[in-house]
Amino acid sequence: MDTGFHSTVRTARTVAAMEWTLEWRQGHQLASVGLFALSSVYVAFQAASRGTAPEAWTAMLWLVYLFSGFTAVGRLFDRERSATRRYLQWTVEPLGLMLGKLLHAILTTTALSAIVLGAFVLFLGWPGEGVRTSLVVLAAWLGGVSMTTTLVFVTAVASQVQSGGSTLAAILGLPLLLPQLILATRMTTGALQGTPWSILGEIPLFLAALSAGTSVMACILFPYIWRA
Amino acid sequence: MSNWNVLWKFGGILLLAYVIVVGFGTPLQPGLVEASPDRLVPGPVTLELHAVGQPFADEVGSTDGHRLILRSGTDLIDTRLIEVAPHRVQAEVTIPEQMPSPALDAFLFTPATGTLFLGNAFFVEGAGSGPVADEFKAKAPDERSPDLGFSFPYQPNIMESIRNLLWHVPMWFAMFFVMGIGFVASLMQLRTDRIEWDHRGEAAVRTGLVFGLLGLATGSLWARWTWGAWWVSDPQLNGALVTVLLYTGYLILRAAMSDDERVGRLSAVYNVFAFVMLVILLMVLPRYTESLHPGKDGNPGFNSYDLDNSLRAVFYPAVIGWGALCYWMYTLRLRMNRAEHRLLTK
Repeated sequence: MDTGFHSTVRTARTVAAMEWTLEWRQGHQLASVGLFALSSVYVAFQAASRGTAPEAWTAMLWLVYLFSGFTAVGRLFDRERSATRRYLQWTVEPLGLMLGKLLHAILTTTALSAIVLGAFVLFLGWPGEGVRTSLVVLAAWLGGVSMTTTLVFVTAVASQVQSGGSTLAAILGLPLLLPQLILATRMTTGALQGTPWSILGEIPLFLAALSAGTSVMACILFPYIWRA
Repeated sequence: MSNWNVLWKFGGILLLAYVIVVGFGTPLQPGLVEASPDRLVPGPVTLELHAVGQPFADEVGSTDGHRLILRSGTDLIDTRLIEVAPHRVQAEVTIPEQMPSPALDAFLFTPATGTLFLGNAFFVEGAGSGPVADEFKAKAPDERSPDLGFSFPYQPNIMESIRNLLWHVPMWFAMFFVMGIGFVASLMQLRTDRIEWDHRGEAAVRTGLVFGLLGLATGSLWARWTWGAWWVSDPQLNGALVTVLLYTGYLILRAAMSDDERVGRLSAVYNVFAFVMLVILLMVLPRYTESLHPGKDGNPGFNSYDLDNSLRAVFYPAVIGWGALCYWMYTLRLRMNRAEHRLLTK
């Protein structure tokens, strides 16, 4: 196993590509996330078929998004429980592995936010006039990214526990996600009500800073988990 | 037990005893809290004002030396005091036909406790706009600032609950302090992989959690009194709640594992992460967002409480006392962890 900046980047790319390939090859994982997201959106649509207030729209969007995120990221370290883990431990540098997983999680979130937001607009429509579409998209994407980067770390920790790892990830993850969700929902509701960029402007900065912070922490701490 | 141990443990307890006695025993400086009737019309009327804190008279009686003056804009309106009670005054006044502003501030001059102020005490309906006629006008008496002795400052809204400063704030300080110990212990655990550091980390988080919960409870009481609700959505409060939940997660994570070495490593990793989140949530984010919590313009701490000297004389001992108690609790838990480990691995 060689180290150094270029090799770390190469490892990260390889790991992300591997995850992506495996996701597509084992189609049921992707399909289950998609099915979960779409059926939840449909339930929301049934509950609010006569239109909703922006606040309710935001609440439903983020609940669907949150649990879809859990489904998508919650299994990220499942493969590393078995013989594959031993192989990777000898061949892959932990930092590269973590970066790869983060990269993969961000890509997954991007796809997921497109699916969930698209389905919401398709079924429920926008709640009212004057929606700032670009700000809603930014809120969904940035909020999703800061949500998944935190989840990657939590999942990595929880996957080390022999039994009940995924339940544990949910228990540990929910309180950790509260700040991101508070910021993201505030930004979404604001954008739906047409609040201008100048007022909402600092929320994306906070979200980006939180994602960067949790990613850096995950990268620093992951080698210690990995060595265990 | 060494002399040093005796000193800080019992010193801490003594400080807390001092804080409880002096914190509850010190009188509050007087302040006007309520005025009635809240709507006035031009003409003669009897006003009543209520106060809290130190009484400005020993008993119902003489109005000598007391004066109540109303202010509209920059004009002063005179009144005639009828009765002065320890926490209440009554006065007769004729509200003029015209005045610069319909909102009246009240100034109560007392010989024993100085000048008391209540902004927007009364609101006048049906008066014209213009200067107050000379017959109603008052001249401000000489400002007197008598020595009120050792007393806590009066703050509108906060009033007697200012004493909570000696509980709520030091409890969060103690929580930060002991969580900091836990953070260092977890870093050492990751460096050395020694079980001793894990014992320390666990003891610190468990103690810190107790103080975090106490901080939430005292804060909630304070919020009910000053803001009118047990809980409000506010960056500082959200951060505090998330922090407590985070550290509860630490205990759940430990409980989910059985093998000692794995417990040590993983919980240390989690604890380092949790402490960084604590700093971000409680010390960084609230400074950049609007908050009801004191110090929204930069410092979410106690500076904005314009601590006066008498409050300082109790607040600093409270910080040290709660800190010492917290550290004592931490050492007890640490000894329990060591003993348990020794028994289980024998």
